[in-house]
Amino acid sequence: MIRILKVTENSLSPFFLEGDFVVVSKIPFFLRPLKSGDIVVFNQPSYGIMIKQVEHVSPDGEQLFVVGTHPFSTDSRQFGPIRKESVLGKVVWHIRKS
Amino acid sequence: MIYQIFDWLDNKLDFDQAQAHCDIPCGIYDPITAQIAALTVVRMIDLMKDLETKSPNKDAAFLNTFSRYVAVKEEHAEKAKHDVRVIWGDYIKTQHLEQYPELHSLVHKIMQGGSKSRQTTDRDAAAAFVEDINKFAEIFWATKGIKTKRAKAPYAPNLELVYPELV
Repeated sequence: MIRILKVTENSLSPFFLEGDFVVVSKIPFFLRPLKSGDIVVFNQPSYGIMIKQVEHVSPDGEQLFVVGTHPFSTDSRQFGPIRKESVLGKVVWHIRKS
Repeated sequence: MIYQIFDWLDNKLDFDQAQAHCDIPCGIYDPITAQIAALTVVRMIDLMKDLETKSPNKDAAFLNTFSRYVAVKEEHAEKAKHDVRVIWGDYIKTQHLEQYPELHSLVHKIMQGGSKSRQTTDRDAAAAFVEDINKFAEIFWATKGIKTKRAKAPYAPNLELVYPELV
């Protein structure tokens, strides 16, 4: 239910930077559905495990449109919305490198 | 202090990485560059065979011109492969593959066709290389909802190419 991951690259800069650690969990899903602004880690078929910010959730709650904060971010604007099932967890703890 | 603990744990446990992937998505993709490169391969084979027929003396001048044709054939076969790989790797997404499941095998065939075009002077193989890239172009434009047409290239070797019907 809890996973620790290391952030690579900088599409969520300046909030999350390369080398930061994040603790993610699915536990918050049971308490409250994902919403705009949440930072999630998910599995994308072409790119692997990614971390992005939820921009919006589809009306049925099954798909998420995720984006980065950097203008050159590779995200749902390129690969489309992601399925809720592909989400590995929501970031519950952010450990900054500096 | 907390970061140092996580860093130490990472060295021991090797945590998974979460990519905050960043790219520069210029969004400019067009298979015509690969099609023209493949067409150039056929043109070079034609020129090589023509030169061989018309040159009784295989002298330095002959070898110089012939080797230039070979070099251009090599370069353009590789360029065609490269340009197809870029579209396949950077533009084609999972939903395209679901819609056109033959894409992977077609791209693999193009890679092999490009290699054969470099290794040999087989004109039929080079023409097939052009045709396979035409099929790739048809799929590419279809993913964008753009209709295509076929027309003979307005330059030698005048093989048929796929063009988008743009308004």
